[in-house]
Amino acid sequence: MKKKMKLTKLQQEMLDGKHGEAKQFCMDKLLDFGKAVEATEMVDLVLTLNCCPIYVKDRMQPERLKKLNEYDLGHSPLYDPIFAMKDAHVADESGTQCGNDPYMMQLDKAKEILGPPNGKPWNFEIPGKGSFKLDQEMVAGFQAGYDMLMKHGWLPWLSCNPYLNTRIPKMGEYAASSESSAACYINTILGARTNREAAVNTVYCAYTGCLPKYGTHLDEFRAAKCIVELTNEVRDNIKGMADWGALGAAIAEKAGNRIMAVLNLPKKMGPGATKNLISCASPGMNDPMMHLMGYTPESPTLEAAFKGKMPRKPERYKVTMEDVVEMYRHLNAIAPAPGPEKAKPVDIVFFGCPHATWDEVREVARLVKGKKVKKGVKLWVQTDTPTYFMAQHYGDTKTIEDAGGHIFHQTCIAMSPIRHYPKDTVIATDSFKYVKLGGGFGPKWIYGNPEALVNAAVTGVFTPTARWEYWSKPRKERLASEKERPLYQGEKPMVD
Amino acid sequence: MEKKKKIVLTGIARSKGKAAGEALVNRQRIGWAFNHVGNEDGMVMAPGADTKGKIVTGKIFVYPTTAGSTSGAFSLYYKCKVSKHGPAGLICQTVHWIDINGAIAGEIPAVDKLNKDPLKVIKDGDWVEINAPEVGEKATVTITRKQA
Repeated sequence: MKKKMKLTKLQQEMLDGKHGEAKQFCMDKLLDFGKAVEATEMVDLVLTLNCCPIYVKDRMQPERLKKLNEYDLGHSPLYDPIFAMKDAHVADESGTQCGNDPYMMQLDKAKEILGPPNGKPWNFEIPGKGSFKLDQEMVAGFQAGYDMLMKHGWLPWLSCNPYLNTRIPKMGEYAASSESSAACYINTILGARTNREAAVNTVYCAYTGCLPKYGTHLDEFRAAKCIVELTNEVRDNIKGMADWGALGAAIAEKAGNRIMAVLNLPKKMGPGATKNLISCASPGMNDPMMHLMGYTPESPTLEAAFKGKMPRKPERYKVTMEDVVEMYRHLNAIAPAPGPEKAKPVDIVFFGCPHATWDEVREVARLVKGKKVKKGVKLWVQTDTPTYFMAQHYGDTKTIEDAGGHIFHQTCIAMSPIRHYPKDTVIATDSFKYVKLGGGFGPKWIYGNPEALVNAAVTGVFTPTARWEYWSKPRKERLASEKERPLYQGEKPMVD
Repeated sequence: MEKKKKIVLTGIARSKGKAAGEALVNRQRIGWAFNHVGNEDGMVMAPGADTKGKIVTGKIFVYPTTAGSTSGAFSLYYKCKVSKHGPAGLICQTVHWIDINGAIAGEIPAVDKLNKDPLKVIKDGDWVEINAPEVGEKATVTITRKQA
């Protein structure tokens, strides 16, 4: 006989309809899911992170549906019944703070889709390949969805990184994050507990503030199952943001879709580095948890990382620089950009998936300072709202814009229908996550470090750096060349 | 006369329902997000997938477990209930929580923990019937194969 779900007084009242139609509707849905995952109680959430819907009247009208099928990630119709209920509200009795991932464009720039192409993600032209413009009706639908959510008490953060600066869950608290990179960061660095929450649930979580207890909420599904150890060479030589993404991916690959304890990490990892390392979670592994020894608060020891169940000889894997280099090769082979190896033409260079941290924005500004982005090429930096205004205040925005680049908040191209970008558009980025997730969409992809990316934006062609040339050589050749021109920094800790 | 071979497997229902359709087998982990399987056409886009370029609509989709985005949940729902380009049912080694969530919302059956590895037993083009009356309870999968 299966155990029945135990509910608190508030949860039972919500289920009984004492707190209105919307909460009752959502409780019903959550209980259905709870049954499927055999949960016996609910967790009380401090944060719900989801996606903002496109809200339109009569979404099944054939022509509108055709457009929606291209634009909608799939979540919008889930909100329709809730929007039709007069008493729908979030963040009330439960105290859960709710917000959304970025969306398809920056809201205050909506008028720009009416004008000529201006080189921004919502209205641009690629010489010789074609143009792309967001659909006006879809943008209006997004604004309408956003307005409804604001009325319901959602917070307008529109970013994948609210855990860095807007709503920071604390050790032991529960969150429901359908943003995978946020989920992995919340578990790994903050010590709060969230699944990579299935994104139908998160709609219902928002209005009730609770969720069946399952998956990574439980110790059983947070425990490390193997050890991944970095060689000293890796520890001391991971330098650029793309290196961090590739390292995260290499770690996930070694662990084979299992939770791992990671040993021998660099002594310092900046905010951008940590975010990029961890955002391998979505594309690289299913469970959003890494025990980064020295960083993960619930894992002061290996024994703790294994939740007291460490085998006498745990499976152990090594990550070498060759593994990291292999990840670059893998990403650059998904939808390879055409052209000579050392001069591949690019159309778009973008930073900030997940949203760029301030140190990432500043790095782009530093690299592009005093230069000019080549005519026809786009340089895009996507970030969260606090960072956007910091960059504006402290001059990074001016530097990027003076060079001909653009910086945005509230949005990211991952939420735009890039499947409909001009044919054969070449996009270069340092986002492991997006090359992996968007690789099949049609554009051609280049994965590289900021230094090479900014150079590509300025010259119009992507050229690997001397550093890449060095690390991508066969080991024997590399070690031989080191005698003449040493690059490997030995035991020195790295600073990014 | 054409011969037909029938195989019956049993497993556990993670989302309830009855469904029948041709099998589409994908040996790699794959998710249901709009960027892996198009919401507008049900076409598999995931790089490196066995079924890349194929259409999932109305098929019984057989795969090990999910990969990639949590939006697999609502994108699967959307394909099943709104754009009508969704699969008819799911058979996995393990149905991941994200896909359970999408299958329940999309009202299609999802089955795992079969008594034989579905990736080894089921072949592309087999006719597959799923009968999964209750979540968490026994479900049957009947495979009919045309024999040359």
